[in-house]
Amino acid sequence: MFSDFFLKLRDSGIPVSLKSFMTLQKALYLGLITSVYEFYVTARSILVKSERYFDLYDKLFMAYFEGADEPLLEGLNPDEDMAALLEKWLKDPAAAARELDIDELMLQKMSPDELLEYFQKRLLDQKEQHDFGTKWIGTAGTSPTGHSGYHPSGMRVGGVSSRMQALKVAGDRRFKDYTADGPLTESTMMEALKRLRNMVPNGPRDRVDIDETITNTMKNAGEIEIIFKQSLKDRLKVVLAIDNGGISMDPYVNIVKKLFDHANSFFKDLKVVYFHNTIYDKVWTDPMRYKHPLKIEDLLKRDSETRLIIVGDASMSPYELLYRNGIIHVEDRADAPGLEYLKQIEKGFRHTAWLNPAPEYLWQYTKSIGIIRDILPMFEISLDGLEKAVAHLMVR
Amino acid sequence: MDNSNFKGADNYVLDDELSHIVNVSIALEMPLLLKGEPGTGKTQLAHAVASGLDMELIVLNVKSSMKLIDALYQYDTLTRLNDSRFGDSKRDVSNIEDYIKMGKIGRAFTSEKRQVLLIDEIDKADTDFQDDMLDVLDQMEFDITEIDKRITAVNRPVIIITSNSKKDLSDPFLGRCNFHHIAFPDKELMHQIVDVHFPEINKQLAERVVETFYTLRKLEDIEKKPATRELINWIRALELEPEFNAHELLSGKVPFPGILFKRSEDLAKAKNFSG
Repeated sequence: MFSDFFLKLRDSGIPVSLKSFMTLQKALYLGLITSVYEFYVTARSILVKSERYFDLYDKLFMAYFEGADEPLLEGLNPDEDMAALLEKWLKDPAAAARELDIDELMLQKMSPDELLEYFQKRLLDQKEQHDFGTKWIGTAGTSPTGHSGYHPSGMRVGGVSSRMQALKVAGDRRFKDYTADGPLTESTMMEALKRLRNMVPNGPRDRVDIDETITNTMKNAGEIEIIFKQSLKDRLKVVLAIDNGGISMDPYVNIVKKLFDHANSFFKDLKVVYFHNTIYDKVWTDPMRYKHPLKIEDLLKRDSETRLIIVGDASMSPYELLYRNGIIHVEDRADAPGLEYLKQIEKGFRHTAWLNPAPEYLWQYTKSIGIIRDILPMFEISLDGLEKAVAHLMVR
Repeated sequence: MDNSNFKGADNYVLDDELSHIVNVSIALEMPLLLKGEPGTGKTQLAHAVASGLDMELIVLNVKSSMKLIDALYQYDTLTRLNDSRFGDSKRDVSNIEDYIKMGKIGRAFTSEKRQVLLIDEIDKADTDFQDDMLDVLDQMEFDITEIDKRITAVNRPVIIITSNSKKDLSDPFLGRCNFHHIAFPDKELMHQIVDVHFPEINKQLAERVVETFYTLRKLEDIEKKPATRELINWIRALELEPEFNAHELLSGKVPFPGILFKRSEDLAKAKNFSG
């Protein structure tokens, strides 16, 4: 019956793997789970690997075990349970093989019974090897005040039925707040940008190069020759192009400002330029986009190792990208459609990323986003998106 | 290792849920990955486990520049070079093994007794480091290439890994760990924690301090919310202040806000709140 619960978790979008389900079976075999409450806790720690899904797990657990009888575990037959699961799984042998870490060919040769036997053997092997010697006994030894029976939901353990306890705890929905992705704070942003570096030797030769010293000393038959080298410094060149025009960017001003403030202190060699909606034949170095235009040819003359990061919501009328003179500022007529300039940029800089503050699930509704994404790789401004953007920018 | 490191264990209040997860992880011989806000006692848990099991604790503080090999072993070439030149030590220069020093993971593997290995703040290292390390911890062995020797764990250490990061670790990594997220303590648990640290504390004072603390944590737009550690330090400061009266807290006054809020913007917001 646990296989049903497992499949329910999976169908609800919690990324649970078959391997972790096997681990849970192992825990049952080893007698580590003796009550519904222990099942609730153990299954969560083994199956659910992110607090983001804890709340969903609580809800599913409630739905599944509400109304189940207390001696749930007594009539439990792990073999039957696993057989049922394996059967369902074998409809896709390739995926099953991948998840279980066994060869697909081998898997195909086995009948479901043989397969079940194989896994039971594997589990039992582990069981025999297992040393039951150490069990860490909770609080009793460690808390001088003896709050050993404390339970996070505020209930005392003992007396209350384990199922009720589990349901009570699950029903508390303690993890509701963790469901959403955390906000993008300065420190989390730092985390994501940390790897955007290019370390090159710089400065005086004041570091002992041990490997070279040893090699040269050997060459000198033991006469020590100390070799010095330069220390490594970050010399990554970054151009940050920010869309600071138009009301469509207004909702994202804060997040972009945060990113920008941060970039300023983070990158040693940073140039900031501004544009509106999309980049045509020039960008501006002043935020008013008036005094200091910078021709795109000049921008493209920079070192091709420069990382170009474009920040904008990429939301505009498609004609701004597709037609000559599509630009919305009449006085800044460009010769070619906006698309052409983006293509030039893509060719000119080997490492470019477009960061979009709009959430990714909205992108499909805006045509211009799709057009730009065909040319430049686009990433969402979230922890995950920044991480991916950094990985993309650092590809050699 | 210095026994004074274990002091924390006496001050650790543990819930049922977590203790069961620790026991299951030990029995399944799987590393336990702990996440949670700073100040929820992730690191403390390892200390408590070590003292509870009467095992030695080895702490590997992960740094961003760290390479896996540093955690396994070091080949002390410089000493060997020095010895080969001056030859006044007891070490045998022709025997490289004399110059191999075990790193934290290496020590946990080679120790005669079973150890608790705490890998603290794994999220600081890059993904490759994390995955490679889990390989080593999975296989329970590694090679010392310089002397062509394989080190196999004598005893499988109890492994506790902590991460502060909001983002998830890689899938292969998570697949090999048990996972728990320590939620921030609720008021009742916080009272117990306060009791453990201040057995003598006046009940009324404790009540008001904890109440104010949770109100302050609820303030909007605070980037670094005060955690348990800040609360403990705050109470310590309040106890030392002769002028302080618990009634002040009721009227919304917050003495020593700098102990609770470390960022200047947060501090300004907290001050506005207290008026």
